[in-house]
Amino acid sequence: MKISKTTINLCVFLFFALFLVLAPFVLPLFVSPFWLSVTSEILIWSLFAASVNLLFGYVGLLSFGQALYFGVGMYGVAIGVAKLGLGFWPAFGFGIFLSVVMALIAGVFAVRLTWHYFAIITVVFSLIFYFLALSWKTITGGDDGMGFSMPPMLSVGDFEISMTDSMVQYYFILLIVALCFYLQHRLLQSPLGKALIAVRENDTRAALIGLNVYALRLTAFVSAGFLAGVAGALFAFFGRYASASYMFYHVSGEGVVWTLVGGLGTLFGPFFGAALLIILREELSVYWEHYLLLVGVIVILIVIYAPRGIVGLYSDLLDRVCKNDDDQNNKPGSEV
Amino acid sequence: MMSRPILKLVNLTKKFGGLVAVNDVDLELESGKLHAIIGPNGAGKTTFFNVISGFYAPSAGQIIFDGIDITKKASHQIARLGMARTLQVKSVFGSMTVAENVWIAAHPRGSVFNPFRPASSFTKTKEKTEQVLEATGLSEMANLVAGTLSYGDMALLEIGIALATEPKLLLLDEPVCGMSPAETEQTVGRIKKLSETVDIVIIEHDMEFVFGLADDITVMAQGGILAKGSPKEITENAEVREAYLGEEDDEDWHHA
Repeated sequence: MKISKTTINLCVFLFFALFLVLAPFVLPLFVSPFWLSVTSEILIWSLFAASVNLLFGYVGLLSFGQALYFGVGMYGVAIGVAKLGLGFWPAFGFGIFLSVVMALIAGVFAVRLTWHYFAIITVVFSLIFYFLALSWKTITGGDDGMGFSMPPMLSVGDFEISMTDSMVQYYFILLIVALCFYLQHRLLQSPLGKALIAVRENDTRAALIGLNVYALRLTAFVSAGFLAGVAGALFAFFGRYASASYMFYHVSGEGVVWTLVGGLGTLFGPFFGAALLIILREELSVYWEHYLLLVGVIVILIVIYAPRGIVGLYSDLLDRVCKNDDDQNNKPGSEV
Repeated sequence: MMSRPILKLVNLTKKFGGLVAVNDVDLELESGKLHAIIGPNGAGKTTFFNVISGFYAPSAGQIIFDGIDITKKASHQIARLGMARTLQVKSVFGSMTVAENVWIAAHPRGSVFNPFRPASSFTKTKEKTEQVLEATGLSEMANLVAGTLSYGDMALLEIGIALATEPKLLLLDEPVCGMSPAETEQTVGRIKKLSETVDIVIIEHDMEFVFGLADDITVMAQGGILAKGSPKEITENAEVREAYLGEEDDEDWHHA
């Protein structure tokens, strides 16, 4: 019997989707409830890594400054709730809006450059705002960050839905992250997605067929800022606080590492990269404070031997399995 | 009666620091002919193309393309006006398939920013892609990754990409460079056929190729224009023979 690659991919996708949907019920059966909150964190960080991936994987711009838009999204929510007295939804929107504006402002300058110049300017931008957030204590809380109390999502009379309920929190995060990945999927299938890949592959040729390379890169940059902003806003609600430390380029670097390990230029690579390394962190950091050494080794091995990351390894394996199937089917006398 | 020039250059100059790569060129290329620009290495041919297609801003002068002043336009704007170009070092979208390479060029620029409609649902673009693939003889390679093609096929794909943008003017920079004799012959036939529907300018240093193909030849030397005329006029031009080929080197002239 022969199963097509599409069917296998669909099954794998459904397996993970089902797992995520049922996680609040399945996880407590095997592990401590603490892992549900790890899963939420993985979802949020995979969205952050997706923002690195959209830029580096699909339009060829390596950014070490995505933490800036994550941090702005976080602060947008925290300031919105704590200082401006906004409700849940307006604060969520405000955080995302601010990070998109931030990405637009930075992008106008940054996407004039490529490669190492681009990488440097993105770091510089994020450092400027990191130090600004650190020193502007009255607004940001500086090093200590700023907390806020969770506004309800919906409140009718005595009935209230709020993220303080762990179920609500998990499903809200899952829904938003899934929606963002779906949007990304649509984008990549569209002519715009093809144009972005064309720019990554050959910007000279792209310009010669009439594509506005600058506008395309800026579009990608702002979209990536949006993804990072949504992740930051979710993380603010998740932790009920915002802190300048999440704007540091260290965080940006983690996004790059997750993407590389998971699979650069693949839709779900950032998810698998973030999942693997966050699970490793949670499991190992308890026993071994130098666990980052192991992470370093994994990253080096993957970059050298599996440049397309976990997802790349998976699809190579799938190719081999399906090819073997084909070979067997072609043998005379084999039953099909 | 002379038709409107497809490309008109007025006092075009391009300097890099002290080096004058294109020197005060006045040139009109009329529509409906197959033009070739020849000249020894370093004559400024490729720089000339780079200035026309918007890679470099000219230091002085004016470029009129099909009646429109494009002197200060960016390369993607010039491309949208209907000028397509191939590069000397073959340039395609390496990790995309042959069909995708043509598809992205064939897709109308205006709707590139449509982010939510699947690319596969644009039937007109798909039809055009198939037409171009057929016209260039690339249909059988449609699903191959462009980066894995042979040099000759890649050159063909580059022409296909250029054609998919439906250009009025096609600039070909050494189209047969690196091709086998058989591929060259095929390409000559294709270019001839193409020239019936689109204006073409070729940069080339392969003499045999140029003289068998072009209606009109412009000879460049040291950034300037030495002569312009039919292949016959150029062959008979003493100045060209002297500057380009060295004096009285008849043997090389005929065999080059």
